[in-house]
Amino acid sequence: MRLERHDTDILILGTGGAGLFAALHAQQTAPDAKITIAVKGLIGKCGCTRMVQGGYNVALGGGDTVERHFMDTIKGGKWLPNQDMAWRLCEQAVVRIRELENEVGCFFDRNADGSLHQKAFAGQTADRTVHKGDLTGIEIISRLMEQVLARPLEKLQEHRAIGLVPTADGSALAGVLMIDMRRGVFRLVRAKAVLMATGGGPTMYKYHTPSGDKTMDGLAMALRAGLPLRDMEMVQFHPTGLLAGDHTRMTGTVLEEGLRGAGGHLLNGAGHRFMFDYDRRGDRATRDVVSRGIYAEMQKSNISPNGGVYISMSHLGPEHVAQKFPGMVKRCADCGFDLAAGKVEVVPTAHYFMGGVEVDVDTRTAMEGLYVAGEDAGGAHGSNRLGGNGVANSTVYGGVAGDVIGREVARLSLRDPDEAVLEAEIARAMHPLSRKPGHVQTLRNALQEAMWEDVGVMRTQAGMARGLARIAEIRAELMQTGVDAANLAFNLTWHDWLNMASLCDVSEVIAKAGLARENSRGAHFREDFPEEGALEASYFTRVQGAQVTRAPVQFTIVTPGETILPEGEPETLVAAP
Amino acid sequence: MGTLIVNVARGDATERRSERFEVPAYESQTVLDVVSWIQQNADPTLSYRFACRVGMCGSCAMMVNGVPRWTCRTHVQKVAKGGALQIAPLRNLPVIKDLVVDMDPFFDKWVAAKAVHHPSRGRAEPMAEIAPDEPGRVTASAGIECINCAICYAACDTVSGSPDYLGPAALQRAWTLVNDAKDGARDAILDAVSGQGGCHNCHSMGSCTTHCPNDLDPLSAIAGLKRETMRKALRRA
Repeated sequence: MRLERHDTDILILGTGGAGLFAALHAQQTAPDAKITIAVKGLIGKCGCTRMVQGGYNVALGGGDTVERHFMDTIKGGKWLPNQDMAWRLCEQAVVRIRELENEVGCFFDRNADGSLHQKAFAGQTADRTVHKGDLTGIEIISRLMEQVLARPLEKLQEHRAIGLVPTADGSALAGVLMIDMRRGVFRLVRAKAVLMATGGGPTMYKYHTPSGDKTMDGLAMALRAGLPLRDMEMVQFHPTGLLAGDHTRMTGTVLEEGLRGAGGHLLNGAGHRFMFDYDRRGDRATRDVVSRGIYAEMQKSNISPNGGVYISMSHLGPEHVAQKFPGMVKRCADCGFDLAAGKVEVVPTAHYFMGGVEVDVDTRTAMEGLYVAGEDAGGAHGSNRLGGNGVANSTVYGGVAGDVIGREVARLSLRDPDEAVLEAEIARAMHPLSRKPGHVQTLRNALQEAMWEDVGVMRTQAGMARGLARIAEIRAELMQTGVDAANLAFNLTWHDWLNMASLCDVSEVIAKAGLARENSRGAHFREDFPEEGALEASYFTRVQGAQVTRAPVQFTIVTPGETILPEGEPETLVAAP
Repeated sequence: MGTLIVNVARGDATERRSERFEVPAYESQTVLDVVSWIQQNADPTLSYRFACRVGMCGSCAMMVNGVPRWTCRTHVQKVAKGGALQIAPLRNLPVIKDLVVDMDPFFDKWVAAKAVHHPSRGRAEPMAEIAPDEPGRVTASAGIECINCAICYAACDTVSGSPDYLGPAALQRAWTLVNDAKDGARDAILDAVSGQGGCHNCHSMGSCTTHCPNDLDPLSAIAGLKRETMRKALRRA
């Protein structure tokens, strides 16, 4: 198999909010450096930042402060976030939003007087979320994409990263092994500095929201490279994914949070409202609570024809619904469902991955030359991400990475790769090409069932142990399943196989980290350990290779029970609905 | 539910052919689901492109029964004539393989039209106060939800006839920026879209506006550019 070798100064993996911002900042900070941006799909088109509906959390006055945003983030993360990372996120979001408007060219929604419009999402104590209707991500990524396309950067589209290749002594990263998907050939790209910003995306669940290209390749590569990962049990489920049957890619895609906020009702299979059975806030409870409520109804078989529940909006007046949620109503209509006047089947759907590579506040990792930002990095959100903090995180830390790499690249040099690791990574990717072709999709379905049933919304020791056994069986079968190698150019089935390999590796880690957390925090709920445990003794899970350990949370800014808000500050600035 | 007869355009840039597949029909089924079913169950070598699955990324557009469409948001029942579908790669762009096109020419033209924000302020300065109902802003906002899916570009006969033509999407974005009070180089944009391949090539056939899945109106945007570039030329004279 042919291997092409290629060199650059700065290599950026991914073109979501983190990757695109990193490219812009690296070029501003190191204008003479050669910058290469590589992406599994097309620039700005794959990835999940583009799919952001709600908006961008940033404290911009009117009583709101960075301190208040920070406290909401810590409390939302149930005291597990890395506090220095959370602080940087909240503080730098203020600069980044002005950069997005003034330099990148976004236009966010305004009040009638021309000032910026901000709204409050669940878990926030101020009207903080900047947005562009309910399609904020499109505005951010389309504008970033233009800026990057207009600059003389090297662009490697449909180049998928499959392995981090260190130096022979393991002290630093030498380069990244990729597949040029259009031609089906391997390429080793050496770089002085690499930013990994491939995005998370927990698509190993039967119901999931992320973009179809997302298969956790970044974290699977980091795991093989021996980097420490944290919070790997933390998978956020969104309560209302569209449910349209097993044979359509529409299933799992998000119906927005605002539907419940506006007064939408969740109904079980018998047509009864059930959320008040689980929480006094009813349908308006937070994402994790509603997801568990729906899951419990499903366990009791109080289900709709496709096995979920319904969201019903019609009591609010179909015309009002159509006017207030035009995007959602049109999307449902295109797919054959009447959201405004009828009821639509929904199910909890895996949405965001809080876990990731351990980094410092400057995006550096334990490996010289490797930096990580966006959903691939763990720590900023702890056990739960607030709506609106995801795109803030990716854009803030993408920019930070670009600045830091731009400053550090001058003292870094190209390194020789460990040829043995390189060979092993190529052999790993070629594994299916010499075996009898089989049916990869069947295995993907089996993995998604296993993770949904055993490592999903509600977890137990026995369930996760069973999940681990199922993952091992599926992986063993994957290793016996081949792919027709007659033409490797744009061979999606080969990539489906590689996707499955990444998903099996990360699924195993999710289950192992889930077993290690014997309490319930944020997105992680143990039926056998339903209490949150002592906050002052909070720990996060760390996975490195086959080792799973616990590490104490450092309360570097605020300790449980305390606040950094000035005395006498109100609990919330948001008017009661 | 029965069976769909699906003819799919195959091959690379040099060798094209059509292949016929029988695909089980389901009640909830998009054209993207049909293409995916073929790759996952009938022919693992079929190449296509998609990402978001919900009409946000603009990666999956193809010709469906001769019409450019987002395949992820096109319900089979709306387009299958007598249970038959013809699926081909997007028109007016080079084919990479099967249903995948190279979108670079589309984006190269986006850049050539200077359809990118030119800053007039920096990140240390406050954001501009702009009321949403200011006339310039209303015009700018009209085209802002474009997801650069290239459906208008595929629908445009002028693009087919003159490969230099910048096309509806890039020109619409240029018009948005010309009306955006925040853009610092609006004259340069008008210059970029008034030369060879620019807005005056448009024959106002309106296929762009007819086919835009987001109900945007590039035709009117291009008309605006034609007026404004003429006005600027007269000013100069």
